[in-house]
Amino acid sequence: MDVYINSTGHYLPGDAVGNESIEDILGLIHGKKSRLKNKILKSNGIVQRHYAINEQQETKISNSDMAATAGIDCINNSYLSPAKIQMLSCATSQGDMILPGFGSMVQAALNLSEIELHTSHGICSSSMMALKVAVNNIKCEDSDNALVVASELTSRLFKHSRYEQLDSNEVDFNAEFLRWMLSDGAGAILLENRPRAMATSIKIDWITSFSHANVLPVCMSVGRAKNEEDKTWQDYQSYADAEKAGALMLRQDVRLLEHIVAIGVQGFLKLIAQGKIIPSKIDHVLCHFSSKYFKSKIFDMLDTASISIPESKWYTNLYQRGNTGCAAIFIMLDEFIKTHDLKAGETIFCMVPESGRFNCAYMHLTVAG
Amino acid sequence: MENTVLTESGKTCLQGLLKVWLDFDLSLNKVPIIQRLEQNRLSVEDYQKLLLNLRQQVVEGSRWISRSASSFDRHYSDVRSTVIHHATEEHRDYLLLEADYVAAGGLLTEIQSAKKNIGSEALHGFLMYRSSQPNPVDLIGAMWIIEGLGNKMASRWAKLISQQFTFEKSATSFMEYHGNNDENHMRELYQLIDRVATSTKNVDDIIRTSKVVAKLYQLQLEEIDNG
Repeated sequence: MDVYINSTGHYLPGDAVGNESIEDILGLIHGKKSRLKNKILKSNGIVQRHYAINEQQETKISNSDMAATAGIDCINNSYLSPAKIQMLSCATSQGDMILPGFGSMVQAALNLSEIELHTSHGICSSSMMALKVAVNNIKCEDSDNALVVASELTSRLFKHSRYEQLDSNEVDFNAEFLRWMLSDGAGAILLENRPRAMATSIKIDWITSFSHANVLPVCMSVGRAKNEEDKTWQDYQSYADAEKAGALMLRQDVRLLEHIVAIGVQGFLKLIAQGKIIPSKIDHVLCHFSSKYFKSKIFDMLDTASISIPESKWYTNLYQRGNTGCAAIFIMLDEFIKTHDLKAGETIFCMVPESGRFNCAYMHLTVAG
Repeated sequence: MENTVLTESGKTCLQGLLKVWLDFDLSLNKVPIIQRLEQNRLSVEDYQKLLLNLRQQVVEGSRWISRSASSFDRHYSDVRSTVIHHATEEHRDYLLLEADYVAAGGLLTEIQSAKKNIGSEALHGFLMYRSSQPNPVDLIGAMWIIEGLGNKMASRWAKLISQQFTFEKSATSFMEYHGNNDENHMRELYQLIDRVATSTKNVDDIIRTSKVVAKLYQLQLEEIDNG
């Protein structure tokens, strides 16, 4: 059974926020401007992004409502009635609720009846895992179609007031780094078991991922304080204690981050060795790199291995739409499909390296005739 | 890095080698002493043990390289020249390593009288065996892994060690040395790949040897904690 992407959609909350206005939204930590901000922004190359919180750090739209809005955008672009959708597969790093699963909340917001439901929990690659579950569901003929939605509302973690709760009163680099990297948004993909003649239909050839959590330490996390080995947020006497200790900060161990390039390229070489990809036959590359800095590192390593893919084939909207975590690859795919005159037979290679604990997901697509 | 591998089979070989290197690089994170190094939990004794256990491999390194040079016949005289040059450059590297060991608080007599660990025995045995074969082009794969590790030691491990410890004299000169010479060595290696990766058999042999060397090198590092 073949599976096709027959529609895509996205939602980015509010107006685009330029670099100079980020602290108007997230607030100043202890009333002081950040000394790191410009350095990190220069390195990641992002010039604007969107936030679901306002200048008073109030949430203007929930994560599940963002997901639902992207889902509706996707359905509105499709040939399918919402009543005919059989499966909903959702991904996020943090739902609005801790429980139940994010998918339940999105289903309710979309008012989809009696569907098969899946929630994928993780960081950037969780959307690809949600997509794979949906693809497999159609492949084994449990469903004829599936709506896959990925959404992120990370700005709530970056409010100045969160940093001001810390007992130590100082914000370390690893806790501040992502404040200048991540922002909010949602993307959606509609899958069906047949192509649509009147729409751009894209066949999913395969999705695969390689996780390295057994060999590398945690790199991006929420739930554990700095220099803590075992104690996690629920192990404190109160949630307030956990927050004061910094266990609820979103952290990136930047020292470990450089592994991401090596594992991304290692997986790429593995796929070549398995005969799944031939670099010269790839027409478009959509890679969710978090930063311009990593793009150049990936290019260098591919060059070294003589498997470089010309830069003209790479597409990204990171600099204009921001890094929206697991939603980014869907938002990218949506904009890519809508802005390109794709021809039957063209191939698209997608790659989502996740630094959480080093999972790297890959997908190969072919434009249907 | 300027791309110096130009032939199609050279590129195939390079892709294979890079994959072996990246697999090896990842599996190094499973080696307990490397985990401690990477996670800032290395003790001074650990660092001493690391140097002590690397010494034999470094001492023996120039021996197998020299042996392999003598195994290349006249059709490979250009390769022989490169390999001899390489051996000349590196055959006294172990002296740097010994100095680092002393700077890190170890006794010279101790490192000089240490025996090879089990992994070093296996690695050295394999390399001497391969380098005794006629025209052992596959040893390019061994050089690839060992040079790659030299590069990693220079760029990452030396930095991590310097962050963790303060010694009176430099105790990372061996690791740093590779960083300073790495570019030339890598250029030579790329040229060698183009020169010898001329058939499917040669490419397969080179990649296979790189895998064996990676595995035995890993064993050598794992054995540090078992000594």
